[in-house]
Amino acid sequence: MIIQGVFSMSILDRLRSFFGMGDKEEENESEANNAKDDVNVTSSKKKLNDNIVSGTKTSESISKVESGSKDMPSKTAHSKNDADKKETVAKEETSTVDSKEEKKEKVTIPELAEEATEIAQERVNEVAEEEAEAKAEGSDLIDDEEDASLDEAEDDEIDDENTGENNKKSDTMTLLTDKELITSESLDKDFTAAFIDAGIETVKNCFQCGTCGGTCPSGRRTPYKVRQLVRKCLLGLKEDVISDDALWMCTTCYTCQERCPRSVIIVEIVKKARNIAAHAGYMAKPHKMTGLFVITTGHGVPINPVTKELRARVGLSELPPTTHMFPEALEEVQKICKTTGFDELIGFDETTGELKD
Amino acid sequence: MEVAYFLGCIMNNRYPGVEKATRIFFDALDIELKDMEGASCCPAPGVFGSFDEKTWASIAARNLTIAEDMGMDIMTECNGCFGSLLECNHMLKEDEEAKAEINEVLSEVGREFKGTVDVKHFAQILRDDVGYEKLASVIEKPLNLNIAAHYGCHFLKPTKEVGIEESAEDPSILDDLIEITGAKSIPYEEKMLCCGAGGGLRSRDIDVTLSMTKEKLENMEAAGADAIVNVCPFCHLQFDVGQTEVNKKYGTNFNIPVFHLAQLYGMAMGLDADDLTLDSHLIDCAPALAKALEEYDKLATE
Repeated sequence: MIIQGVFSMSILDRLRSFFGMGDKEEENESEANNAKDDVNVTSSKKKLNDNIVSGTKTSESISKVESGSKDMPSKTAHSKNDADKKETVAKEETSTVDSKEEKKEKVTIPELAEEATEIAQERVNEVAEEEAEAKAEGSDLIDDEEDASLDEAEDDEIDDENTGENNKKSDTMTLLTDKELITSESLDKDFTAAFIDAGIETVKNCFQCGTCGGTCPSGRRTPYKVRQLVRKCLLGLKEDVISDDALWMCTTCYTCQERCPRSVIIVEIVKKARNIAAHAGYMAKPHKMTGLFVITTGHGVPINPVTKELRARVGLSELPPTTHMFPEALEEVQKICKTTGFDELIGFDETTGELKD
Repeated sequence: MEVAYFLGCIMNNRYPGVEKATRIFFDALDIELKDMEGASCCPAPGVFGSFDEKTWASIAARNLTIAEDMGMDIMTECNGCFGSLLECNHMLKEDEEAKAEINEVLSEVGREFKGTVDVKHFAQILRDDVGYEKLASVIEKPLNLNIAAHYGCHFLKPTKEVGIEESAEDPSILDDLIEITGAKSIPYEEKMLCCGAGGGLRSRDIDVTLSMTKEKLENMEAAGADAIVNVCPFCHLQFDVGQTEVNKKYGTNFNIPVFHLAQLYGMAMGLDADDLTLDSHLIDCAPALAKALEEYDKLATE
């Protein structure tokens, strides 16, 4: 059994369908029916997954339904009190993902599937509404020109996804294409483990309610989806996470973390994912430059002649009593950067005092 | 009282009037500011924290050891520095493994993190160590201004770790401190919204940053703000320099002067524009300064 589910596509789909039918839907009292249509647009198998993790819009191994389905609801409910059990479940998850044999087995749990579908329909509908609201709110806040360009970008993406070789529709008659499928090969358990090892166990607490995304100032104006990011990190979709420019749209304002009803330390997840991205070579030049300034001066924003003059005018020392004034202190900072390998990480060239590229 | 005065980067290297005002202000409050000789960048959480946690923690810990050697708690007037230093201090105090790892790096430069000092924010010291009564006693020229208070993100959040306010949804510390100067802290929409500069976003994607700054400026202007008051030189820079960038990008005419809280107190203590280096600001502060003191001058001449 191939694992089904899509991140970007499911959102776009839902947004598209929502906005495509949006006017009609907003006026319609019986939203439930429309929502059903809405849900039917997405993969039916995805609904199973949605149920497992209390309404996630993302995908997981179907085989997990078999081994994890009975445990998962209790995991969600008792995860705080029942750490041991959680560990066990987590191990089961991992081992299931590992097992290719299990992956190939058909899902033979119709009852569960039905129940899952029902719950998931409700949940996906809620999520779609939240997202549409967030989107509507967002478009008020950005001007028309930007809005248009965002729409354009989304259209482009959709076009891209609908062309190309692997574009045959999956045989479950959804709008998904094979290209959009996430298989267990895409999951990198070491990536997930990196978060757990870094003390961010709370990544497992996330039940994908969307409070984070709904409150995120960057999410209102960029493709940055913090809820999606947390989910991808938990699943281990490493390449997806670290190659995405949107990862760098977070201002670390902590609003999501403050409001998270599951106490997920979201900003730590973002920073950890960025660390992994940076070490994999995804670093913006301007960020490297800030690093370069600290190596060469000890300051991310070094002094300039104008400020020196201003400082002297008001009776302050021309150079502040920092690494600017004490060269031996600067050497300490440089030695630290060398010891930790930060100089190499940003590509600092000691002989020229510049970046290598 | 003595504190180790952590300068950081933007205040001392771009807006020295903030540092000057603070030194005079704290003199009046009988708090001795001791320089942390050889301190560096905090380092910037958005770049170092996002690139390599170990380097971030090592450089931050080095700064902490300077204060440990002085035997004093640290004071910083920048939310970013506050966030970095507080978080690192907290982490190394709590996590023996992390402490050992970072101390191994620090041993290369002959230093050791011991965990003997605390990190405090300027505004926190004003509220908790100085007290509102004493603050009121240094005000010589009560200011007549409508202020849009900008808290910034790393001042109060994450609230569980920082503990200055129980919640960052509707805090009062900055508003209270502003109103002691005679100015009025006015409500405005989305008051707790980020300035847009943090997390490395300003250098990574200035357009996204400016879009947030613009939203804040619109809300501040709509509420009738005469000036913006912040407690973070990076937010300060974003509202000052960023305001001109917003105007250029969107064809707007925002013209709201920006003061760090230390400068606001400086004005209320009667320091002049030169001492506050208001000429280092891109947005002209003269109208706000004139309005601020209008009432006082009128009373003084009567």
